[in-house]
Amino acid sequence: MTKVRLVAGILVMLGLLGFGWAATKAYAIDLGDVLKVGGVAFLVTQYDDQIDSFITSALGEREAAVRGATKVVPILSLGGGGYIGAAQVVGNPENVARVKAVIQVEGRFGSGRAQLLVPTTTDRATGSPDRAKGVGVSAVIEFRI
Amino acid sequence: MGKRLRVPLIVGLGLLAALFAAATLSTAAVSFRSAERDDARVAEVLIGDRVVIVLRTSAGGYTPLERAEIVANRLRSALSEEVAAEDVQARPIPSGHGVFAANRLIVAVYGSEAAAHEASPESLAKLWRDNILLALSLPLPEEASEEEPPVEEAPGSGEAPAPGAAEQPEGPASTGQAAAPEAATAAESTALDWTGTAQKWVPIFSLEREGVRIGFAQVAGPTSQVEKVKGVAQLRLDFQRIGRIYAYIPVSTISVRKLDRVQGVSVWALADVKVLNF
Repeated sequence: MTKVRLVAGILVMLGLLGFGWAATKAYAIDLGDVLKVGGVAFLVTQYDDQIDSFITSALGEREAAVRGATKVVPILSLGGGGYIGAAQVVGNPENVARVKAVIQVEGRFGSGRAQLLVPTTTDRATGSPDRAKGVGVSAVIEFRI
Repeated sequence: MGKRLRVPLIVGLGLLAALFAAATLSTAAVSFRSAERDDARVAEVLIGDRVVIVLRTSAGGYTPLERAEIVANRLRSALSEEVAAEDVQARPIPSGHGVFAANRLIVAVYGSEAAAHEASPESLAKLWRDNILLALSLPLPEEASEEEPPVEEAPGSGEAPAPGAAEQPEGPASTGQAAAPEAATAAESTALDWTGTAQKWVPIFSLEREGVRIGFAQVAGPTSQVEKVKGVAQLRLDFQRIGRIYAYIPVSTISVRKLDRVQGVSVWALADVKVLNF
């Protein structure tokens, strides 16, 4: 009887430890994601103009500069709404000025993936994305966070 | 476990709050960007969302965009302290006119830049001064109300009454003496219509560390332009150590030596398939 209690006690303790570890692990991932999203938001705000001019200069050096207004905006994932990167959008100046974000809709198929990039005039990624007319994506920026 | 989670949670939320606070503060700050006005490539300096200075010409070996960066840095530095309306001034300098904030030269206006805006250096400097004051919600000097009203240079619009100006490069230029302005940057040809709705899928070829990927891009734009697109060149760039940039360039010929960009066409969607791992 004592042995049974001992084994049961050990199993309960191991179970609790396992639960605690799992909870901590899950929490760490969530916090990491939260910090990543916040970090991307910060980087986009902080470096948008520098990145924009960097891309413009780099393309100019290769005689491939774009003829149109450009701007760097955050990429939001559809549904999640988090900032997952940034994109340089290009188009008519008045249309580019209205763009606040690019919404990314991503799908995977086997070893392939597809990304729909939708410049939008809102900074929320809910519902069906409303494409800003006359604006497209010129570059995608992935941050190392 | 509760206490164990509470501490990192509080730290995390604190960091997040600090990041958002910093981001919010910086949105009201000074920025610069490249833009197109009157079929020409220009550089704009903004305070918040308001365009306060438009640079059209190169000067001292600096392109308009490089000059805008210099001006933006000066403005940031000047505005890091509290600035009163009387601290923002337009006054003569040996080679033209200058806009000053807190006794620091922000931008020097030379004849060639003013001419590009069909204005005199003095009137242009005053216009930019007034734009800065308006962007900072500061009152305009009394003389301004007797002259023409300041004009916010809204993106896409021409510069109505006449802005134009030149800042001078860093270094010696900051004294106000300065390098002779160069010729205006080349104007771009025709105005482009980016609003076309023609679309098509074209190949992207790129090499990545993870293996060879074959990709496709959906490009969109005016029908006549989209028809010219044969592929999309992917250019990978490293921005400082912060990020990796993938630039997508619609091209009319698939060549790794020369990028024949098709203007007016942009990328709407990307798809790729990993075909080989190594």
